[in-house]
Amino acid sequence: MELADEITINAPKEAVYAALNDPEILKQCIPGCEELIKKSDTELEAKVVLKVGPVKAKFTGDVVLNTEGAPDAFSLTGQGNGGAAGHAKGGADVVLVTDGDQTILRYEAKAQIGGKLAQLGSRLIQSTAKKLAAKFFKSFADVMAEDPVA
Amino acid sequence: MNKELTREERTDALGGMGCKRKRVEDARFTQGKGNYVDDIKLPGMLQGDFVRSPYAHARIKSIDSSAAMALDGVIAVLTAEDLAPLGLHWMPTLAGDKQMVLADGKVLFQGQEVAFVVAKDRYIAADAVELVEVDYEELPVLTDPFAAMESDVVLREDLLGEGGSLPDGAHGPRKHPNHIFTWEVGEKDATEQVLDEADVVAEETVYYHRTHPCPLETCGCVASMDKVNGKLTLHGTFQAPHAIRTVVSLISGIEEHNIRVISPDIGGGFGNKVGAYPGYVCSVVASIVTGVPVKWVEDRMENLMTTAFARDYHMTGKISATKEGKITGLHCHVTADHGGFDACADPTKFPAGFMNICTGSYDIPTAYLAVDGVYTNKAPGGVSYRCSFRVTEAAYFIERMVEVLAIELNMDAAELRRINFIKKEQFPYQSALGWEYDSGDYHTAWDKALKAVDYDGLRAEQAQRVEDFKAGKTRKLMGVGLTHFTEIVGAGPVKNCDILGLGMFDSCEIRIHPTGSAIARLGTISQGQGHATTFAQILATEIGLPADSITIEEGDTDTAPYGLGTYGSRSTPVAGAATAMAGRKIRAKAQMIAAYLLEVHDDDVEFDVDRFVVKGAPEKFKTMKEIAFAAYNQAIPGIEPGLEAVSYYDPPNMTYPFGAYVCVMDIDVDTGVTDIRRFYALDDCGTRINPMIIEGQVHGGLTEALAVALGQEIAYDDMGNVKTGTLMDFFLPTAWEVPNYETDHTVTPSPHHPIGAKGVGESPHVGGVPCFSNAVNDAFRAFGLRHTNMPHDHWRIWKTANDLGLHG
Repeated sequence: MELADEITINAPKEAVYAALNDPEILKQCIPGCEELIKKSDTELEAKVVLKVGPVKAKFTGDVVLNTEGAPDAFSLTGQGNGGAAGHAKGGADVVLVTDGDQTILRYEAKAQIGGKLAQLGSRLIQSTAKKLAAKFFKSFADVMAEDPVA
Repeated sequence: MNKELTREERTDALGGMGCKRKRVEDARFTQGKGNYVDDIKLPGMLQGDFVRSPYAHARIKSIDSSAAMALDGVIAVLTAEDLAPLGLHWMPTLAGDKQMVLADGKVLFQGQEVAFVVAKDRYIAADAVELVEVDYEELPVLTDPFAAMESDVVLREDLLGEGGSLPDGAHGPRKHPNHIFTWEVGEKDATEQVLDEADVVAEETVYYHRTHPCPLETCGCVASMDKVNGKLTLHGTFQAPHAIRTVVSLISGIEEHNIRVISPDIGGGFGNKVGAYPGYVCSVVASIVTGVPVKWVEDRMENLMTTAFARDYHMTGKISATKEGKITGLHCHVTADHGGFDACADPTKFPAGFMNICTGSYDIPTAYLAVDGVYTNKAPGGVSYRCSFRVTEAAYFIERMVEVLAIELNMDAAELRRINFIKKEQFPYQSALGWEYDSGDYHTAWDKALKAVDYDGLRAEQAQRVEDFKAGKTRKLMGVGLTHFTEIVGAGPVKNCDILGLGMFDSCEIRIHPTGSAIARLGTISQGQGHATTFAQILATEIGLPADSITIEEGDTDTAPYGLGTYGSRSTPVAGAATAMAGRKIRAKAQMIAAYLLEVHDDDVEFDVDRFVVKGAPEKFKTMKEIAFAAYNQAIPGIEPGLEAVSYYDPPNMTYPFGAYVCVMDIDVDTGVTDIRRFYALDDCGTRINPMIIEGQVHGGLTEALAVALGQEIAYDDMGNVKTGTLMDFFLPTAWEVPNYETDHTVTPSPHHPIGAKGVGESPHVGGVPCFSNAVNDAFRAFGLRHTNMPHDHWRIWKTANDLGLHG
C-alpha cells in the first residue's frame, strides 16, 4: 500500500521539523496514540489503538528516524504488532520546503500489512490509512497554527 | 386388495427407480429440525478454539499462555509441546505426507494452528485466544510455486535428510527441497515426436486458480472420551466416517472397537470434509485430558483460510492435429501448488488424482502428462471440490485446449469436437493415458445439444453482433460456450484405488422386518445428496417393498457397515451397487421362501414387481410383505429364520458419466458484466434413479461452476495474506447471479454396474466450469483472444477488453 500527499503548514520549516521530532506533539496528533516514548534521538516506541473495519487492536511498535537530511528531509521506518489482529511494517519519506512564512510538507509512505487486519480490512485499509494520515496532518497543522514551536 | 391393482399401479406404489420421489430428508431440513454437529450439546461440554498464525512463514520463538490461562473459565491451552509426548504434534495426511497438528517450531501458512484453547464457552475461548502471546520471527514467504522451485528458502526442513540431502517423498524422488513429487503418465518421447511432426500445434498455459468448496456448514466435531468404559465417541462433519475411525485409531492407539464415529446431518461437503484436520486431533486430546466432551467448530474465516482448498493447477499444454483437424497428440505439464503440507485427498497411487483423464472425450492416440507437486506458504488441501479427484482440472484443461486448437485451425469448435469424439463402437475404449472408458455415445448427445440450442442460429447471431459492434451499434459481445466432458467417478476398484491403504469398496446391510418394512445401512454418508430418498428407491425396485417403508441409515460406525464414504460421485456407483447387490441377496432367499409357501420348486417362481409368482400362473403368488412375515415366523425346513443381507461391493471399473453443455452469454465490454442468457445442460449419467434429484444436483453443480468460473477465488498477496477470507470477498452466488438452467439427458447405462448407474453429483461442476469460461473466451475470439484465465469477474473481463483495445 502506498500513500502520498502534501500539506501546507503555517510555520517555518525549522519549527515544523522540531515538532515532528517532539513526542508530545506527535502523541497529540497521531490518531489513537496512547503512549509515545522517545528512547533516543532516533528511536521511538509507540502504543496506538487502531480500528479498521471490524478489527480493533492495540499496536505496539518501534519507529526509527533517519535525521541525516535535517531540516529539509527526514525518513522513518517502523513496525508494529497488534497480536491477534495482525502486524504492519512500513516507512515514510518526508520533505519540507519553505514557502514564504509557511512550510510545505510532502510525504510518501509505504506499508505492508499482515494478519487479520489484512484479511478483513483489505477493502478498507487504503481508505482508512488515507483518513488517518489526513487526520494526523490536520491535527499537526492545527497544533502548529495555535502554538508554533519556537 | 392388491389383486385389483394392475402391474403398473403396483410399480408406481413402490416409488422405486426412475420416479420423481420427493426427498424424505426435506421435512426436517426445511423446518430447521436437522441435527448438525453444532446442534450437539453434551453435558459438561467444553469448547475449543485455535490460536492461528498471522504470518505465512515464521519461526516460533516462544508461546506464552499465562495470561490466557489466568482468564476465568479457561481450562487448558495446548501447544505442540503438550502433544509431542503423545506423538500427536504431527499427523499423517491423506497423501502420505505429514502435517503439524500444532505449530512445531514454525508456521508454513497464514492461519496455521499454533495453540488450542479449551474453555467453558466459545466466547471465553475466543477471548483467551487473543491473550496467548506468540513471538514470531518472520521468514521469507513463497506463494508462487515456480519461485518456490528456484528458491533457496526451504519450507520443510523436516523432510531434509542428513547434510541437507533429499530423501524420496511418498511418491518417489524429489528434485528440490520445495518439490513434493513428479508423476508421469503416457509416452513422453512418442508424444514429443508426434508434436514435432504435426501439421498444427496449439500451445497454451491455463491456470486453474485456487478456490474453496465453502460448504454452508463449516467443519467441526465433538469428541467425548468416556474414561470409565474407555470408549471415544467422535461426532463430526465427516464425509468418510469409517476412514476417520480407522485413522483416529492408528494415530491415537485406541482400539478401533472402542471408537465410535458419528456423522450426523451434514450441511454440504463438496470435498471440504474429506480430510483429517488438527481440530479433530486437538478435540480428542482435550477430551482425553479433561475427561469431558470438547467441541470444536470452525468459523467462516477459518474454514476458507485453513481447511482443504481446491485446484491451484498451472497447466501447460500442447495439442497437435492434422490440417483437417484430427487430433494426433496431447502433451500436458502441471505445476501443482499444494501449500505447506501435501494433504491432497487422492487415492494413494494417484498423487495428482485422475488428472490423466485429460484426454477428455476425444480419441487422442498419443499423450503424455507430467505433474510436479510443489510446497508453498499456502494452506494445505487439494480436495476434489465437487469433482472426482482433479477431474475438473482435467476437463477444464482439455476443453480449453480444444478451443485454442480450433482458433489455430480456424475451425468451428463444435465441429472440431465432433470429428474427434470417441465413437460409440469404440467402447470400451482404452485411453492413451491408461483408462478404460466403460461406455458412451458422445455423438448422439452432442447433436441433441446443438439442435436444442439452434447452434447454427447462435453462430449467425454472434457474427452479426460482431459486425454491429465494429459498426458502433452495440457495446455488447456474445459468447457461445461449448463443453463436452467425460467424468471418471466411482472410485474405485480396490486393485488400484486406496486411501492410506484403505480399499475403496463400499457396503450395504439390509434387515427386513417381519411386517414387510426394512432398514438399510450404508458405508457412505449423505451431505445433502438425498441418500435416504434414492437408496430406498433402488431397494424398492430390487426387493419389492415400498420406498416409504425403507429406512436408510448412514454415518454411525457402530451400526453401519464399513465403507469409504461420500466424495468423487462414488455413492451411487459404489454404495448404490452394494445396495442393489444386497437387495438381490434378499430376493434370492425370498424366492426360496416363496417357493416353499407356494409348494413349487424354487425355479418355478419368478419375481414380479412386489411379489413372487408361479411361472405361468400369476394368480398364484406371495407378496414380499407376506414373504417377510413368513421368513421370521414360519418354520421352513432347510432355511434359517430372518431376512437379512450384506454386500461389500468392489467395483470392477470406474464409471464414465458424460455431458454436452452450451452457455450463451452477453458481455458488456465497458463494464465487464456478464449476462447468461441461456444455459443448456445435457447429462448422461446412465440409469436415472430419481430425475428430480438429478435435476437438483445439476442445478447445484452448475451454480458452483458459475461461482468458480466467474469469481470465486482464494487469493493471496505477496506476504501470504489470504485476501479472500470472508464472504465479503469470496464469491458465493445468490439467486441474483444464477441464470435459469435447461436440463436434458441421454441414457447410456454403465455395462458393469448392477443397475447401470454412473453418478451425477459432480458432472455439472466438471462440465460447467469450462462451459462458462469458454463462453467468456469465445466472446472475444473475433478480436484475437486465445485464452484468458479464470475467474472471469467483471474487472478481469473489463481488463481483457481493454487489453484488446476495445475501449477505443
